[in-house]
Formats: sequence, structure tokens, C-alpha cells
Amino acid sequence: MSVQIMLGPQSPHSNLKNAIDSLSVNGPVVSITAGWRDSEAEIDELQAAIGSPIEDLNLYHLAEELFSREPKLHALHRERQDKLLELQRLYRIRLTPGMTAARKLLRDKAESDLLRLEQRAAISQVRSLDRHHLRRISAIHQEFDRRRAEVLIPSATSLVQSLQKKLAESGLVLIAGGHVSVLVNRIRLFRLVDMLAQKPIIAWSAGAMVLGERIVLFHDDAPQGKRDAEVLDAGLGIVRNVIPLPQAKSRLDWSSRNRMALFSRRFAPAKCCTLDNGSIIHLQDDRMTYASLCSVITRSGMKKPVVTR
Amino acid sequence: MNPIVESLYREGNPDAEAVDKFIQQNQFPLVEPGHVTFVYRGQAQAVHLRSWISGLDTAQPLVPLEASDLWALTIELPDKSRFEYKFEVEENGVKQLVLDDLNGVLAHDPFGANSVCQGYGYERPGWTLHDPTARSGSLDTLKIASRSFRDTREIQIYLPAQFRRNRTYPLLIVHDGLDYLRYADLKNVLDNLIHRFEIPAMIVALTQSPDRLIEYTGDERQARFLCEELLPAIAAKFPLLDDSNARGLAGASLGGVAALHAASRYPKLFGQLLLQSGSFAFSDLGRHKKDPVFDPVVRFVNEYRNTPYPIAEKIFMSCGIYESMIYENRSLLPVLQDQGMQIFFEEARDAHNWENWRDRLRQGLSWLFPGPLWMVYE
Repeated sequence: MSVQIMLGPQSPHSNLKNAIDSLSVNGPVVSITAGWRDSEAEIDELQAAIGSPIEDLNLYHLAEELFSREPKLHALHRERQDKLLELQRLYRIRLTPGMTAARKLLRDKAESDLLRLEQRAAISQVRSLDRHHLRRISAIHQEFDRRRAEVLIPSATSLVQSLQKKLAESGLVLIAGGHVSVLVNRIRLFRLVDMLAQKPIIAWSAGAMVLGERIVLFHDDAPQGKRDAEVLDAGLGIVRNVIPLPQAKSRLDWSSRNRMALFSRRFAPAKCCTLDNGSIIHLQDDRMTYASLCSVITRSGMKKPVVTR
Repeated sequence: MNPIVESLYREGNPDAEAVDKFIQQNQFPLVEPGHVTFVYRGQAQAVHLRSWISGLDTAQPLVPLEASDLWALTIELPDKSRFEYKFEVEENGVKQLVLDDLNGVLAHDPFGANSVCQGYGYERPGWTLHDPTARSGSLDTLKIASRSFRDTREIQIYLPAQFRRNRTYPLLIVHDGLDYLRYADLKNVLDNLIHRFEIPAMIVALTQSPDRLIEYTGDERQARFLCEELLPAIAAKFPLLDDSNARGLAGASLGGVAALHAASRYPKLFGQLLLQSGSFAFSDLGRHKKDPVFDPVVRFVNEYRNTPYPIAEKIFMSCGIYESMIYENRSLLPVLQDQGMQIFFEEARDAHNWENWRDRLRQGLSWLFPGPLWMVYE
């Protein structure tokens, strides 16, 4: 099995070069910077950081071109995105009261089995809603995949094949952060998941988020107030049992232990791992083999350094 | 009496050395939950706290403390409040307004500086301070030969970090823009909020009037200048998103009047309005009692209140509860809401000053121009 390395944000200090140096890379380095959207092509800083050339797969740009060439595919894609947006809205309507109830119960100070059972039940309801949401999302993706086969023209198919070939010939794939939805979307659109799973990957921030089984959005310090963390979509499933939390220092409200405890218990048994600037986690066969400057959120809402075996 | 002042007298009247120590060891004014104590040191016939808080006396006397050259006054102050003040010191029959020498916190405006009283729990928001990790935007200059004003206007244009000509950007035009830069740290705020994805990378035009008491009081030339001259000139030179929701007008005090007035003259041209402590003077009955400068403002606001109509998609209004304009702002709020526009009204325990306007910018800008922070993890 291949190695995956997850990093935190690469600003202000980049640890990407160190991460690359820790691997023996056999073949060209390719990057996926689709999360940067319009700035996808601006990989100069990235190349400077690692001191060697990179070939970017240009997935954002290629998708835009494909959509302009293939209006049927574009319409199908738009239809799916609209459905996903609407589904997210509906999910949020159910999620808010569930999370409010769970938080309220976790705040309750009574020392009783009665309370503990209700706390467990409330968290279980939120977990069940998250699972239901993922099933509904999966059904929408499956429908898209089925219908896309009907509209895909040969040139699009050959574009997918050429991207897969580039990946197959690469010795290392870098997946940058950015817009997490755009990033996962473009990787799926070009059917690169199976090939990626066979390659050594270094991914940071949103790039790390898409590697997991679930993509969890979170921000406790937004100008309009805290929001409940939301499951956005399934990830690529290349890494299991980890929920990467980029910029956790600034995005999570560590002063609220109940809030953190709920976060941890909601996504257990997956480990909610912080990824701040300088953080690094090595994974192989879903096992963490090395970690530095990373913490997991414990069941009681505390921060504990990641322990590797 | 404040407990710290009380402690100075615990062992009898203090000597000069004890007073020196008291001054050195404390931060002034003395702040405690719900109260603040002002202290002045010096010889005088009388000392007054002069503040411009609506509802309070503008001059409140400090009391001389026994056997010392100290004067003190304790007032109630809700937590997290902020206001600006000076001391009025009377000596030999001459009254003089001075800064509080014992308080290093100052606020500046075009008329000079004031001492700042920060109530218990107030903290300057971190996003108003320079963040070395945030990429810095740049300032460009645009000169426009104005037909409306028959002169040439120089506009500063804020361009976000990593500005690219092949992208398109939202635009915000800010009245008194250079004052916003100087006194409300607007550049830090923009750099930081863009860096945190709380607002999108955007272009901000900073206008400054040579005669705001005329041009910002409902002057048709100002509205024409903004909408028919400045906006097209910026669009010709910089890549703007062609969508009214990506265009905004902003201003504080009379600048807020100018923004509302221009938007009302060109409805829906600007989708977003940021109006801070707008001087929306009006009269329901009889003549208004403000300075004659407000005559055109009252004419415009009365006209709009009598026949209101939708002028933008979203309006963010903020106002301090210690300023007289709170009455006008609260009165205008339902009129705007009834037009089906989305309105966000934020009140703060603050007064009519630049730091109040600075501290409200995050809420206002991110509500009008929401950034992708929920989805972006760099």
C-alpha cells in the first residue's frame, strides 16, 4: 500500500519539502491544485518551496473547458450541484435541532445514568443523521455517474484517460488545499480516485480533507457566529478513520469542552486530528506511523498529541 | 469610591511618594465591572470630564481628593463600552480641554485626538491589527476629471493581494475613504478579512471630499459623480464583477447620508450598502433643530421617509447607543425593512467615532460580501 502524508496549511512556513524528502520518490511529481480555482496555474511558489519542477494536472481549468465544450455534461453537473446544495440545506434544518439538543444535554451537570443515556441517544441521533445524509449524497452521485455515461463523448473519455496515465506515471502526487468542494468534485469528475489510491500522496489542508471517508466542514469563529460542523460529502476514502481538521487552532472553539467533546463523539471512531501550520501525519494502511504537531480531540473535548505506533 | 482609590487612603492621607506610586502602579482610567473611575492629577480650580455621550451630561465634575493633587470621578459604564473624552481643566478662570495624561489610549480623527475610555471587558478586535501572515493589498491612484464637480478628483484604489487582471472582483466605494484608512485601519481590516476568507478579494475605492459638509449632505452632484463618472471609470480600468450585488457603497456619519442618497438616486445600481452612524436627520413636525448644514439632509431623509422604495438588496446599518444619531437610525430602520430589503442593524455600546466604525467593519463587510471561509481550507 502507498503512503499518504497529511500536512497543515503551508503558510506562513512550508514543511512540504521536508515531507517530500522523507519519501523515496520514483517518478515525476504531479500536483492537483484545483482547490485554488482561478489561481490553479499559479504553482510558482509551490515549485519554489520544493525546489524542483512539478506538473499540475490542471483539473479546474480542464473541467471548465470540458463544460464549455459539452453543454449536456455541464447541465448534468449543474443539476447535481443544485441537488446537493438543496440537500445540504435540508440536512441543516434537521442538524441544527439535533446538535442543539446534544449540546444542551452535554452541558447538563447532573450526575446520573439517566442523563448519560440521553446524551448518548442525542449524539447517536446526530450520527444517524450524518449517515443518512451521506447515503442521500451517494445516491445523487450514483445517478450522476449513470447519466454521465450517456452524455460523455469520446474526446472527454480520452481526456480522462490521459490524466489517469499521467497519474500512473507519477512518483508522487501533491494535493493542495483550497476550496474543498471544488477539489473533491474535480477529482471525481476525472475519475482519478482509484489511481490516486495507488500513489504516494502528500496533501495539505483541504487536500487532506478530501482523502478521508467524510468531508467535515467546520468554523467556530465565523463573523456571523459559530456554526455546527456539517458533513459535506463523502471523501475519496483513501484514508480511513481520520477526520483532518486544518487550521484547527483558529477555526475551533477550544474554550468550549462540550462543543469539542461533541465533535469527537459525533465522528468516533474516526480520530479528529488537528492540522495546523507545521503539522504532519504519515499514514500507511490506515495506520498513523508518524505524527508531529498534531493533536486529536478526546471524548472529553480535550486536546491530546497524536500517538503513533 | 473605587477600591483602588480607597486603598490609597487606607492608612490615612497619602504623601506625595504614595501618590506617585499609585499613579505608576495603575492603569487609568480605573476600570471595574459596570464602573469606571477617571483620575486627573494637577493643580486646578475645577476639572470636568467632557464626553459626547447622548443622554449623559457633557460635563461631569471630578472631585478633588483630600490632601493630594488628585481629582476623581466614578461613573457607571456598561461592560464592553467604549467612548472618547477629554478633561476640561479650569485654572485662573481659563478653561482648557486636555487629553488624559494618565491614559495612553488615544483615538484620532480629522479634528485631532481624544482619550479613549474602554469599559470592562472591551478588547480591540484582533482582525483590526496588522497580521504579518496576511498578504498585503496595495493602493493605486485614479484621477477623474469630474463633470459634476468641474474639478479633478483623486481616488485611492485598494487592490487585494494577488490581484490579477484576468479575474473579476466586487467593488466597494467608501466615502471619507482616506479617513477610514487613517482612523479605522481599513487596510488592515481588508487585508485580514480577505486573508481569512471572510470576505472575497475585492476592490475598494476610497473617495475623499474637499467639502463634505456640502457634498455629503444629499448633493445631487455627488450622486452623479459616483454613479455616472466614478463607477464607469473604475470599471474601465479594473476588472469588476458585472453584478449589482457585487457593488457596494459605504460611509459613516454624513458619508452614510451620501451613500444612501446616491443609492436612492440610482436604485439597484449598488446592491450593498454599509451605513455607519448615518446622520439621517429628519423632522416629523416643525423645523429640525440641528445646524443649518443639515437642511438638505432633512429634505432628503424626509422625502425618502414619505415615499420610500427599494434601493439595494442588502443594507448593513450600525450605530452607537451613546450617540444622538441612534434615534435617527432606529427610526429609519423600519422604513427600510418595509421595502423588502435585507437589513442588518447592529447597535454597539460606543459613540460617534472612527473606532466604533472600525469595530463594526467585520460584521458589516462579511454580511454584505460573504467570503468562502466555510468551504476554503488553505
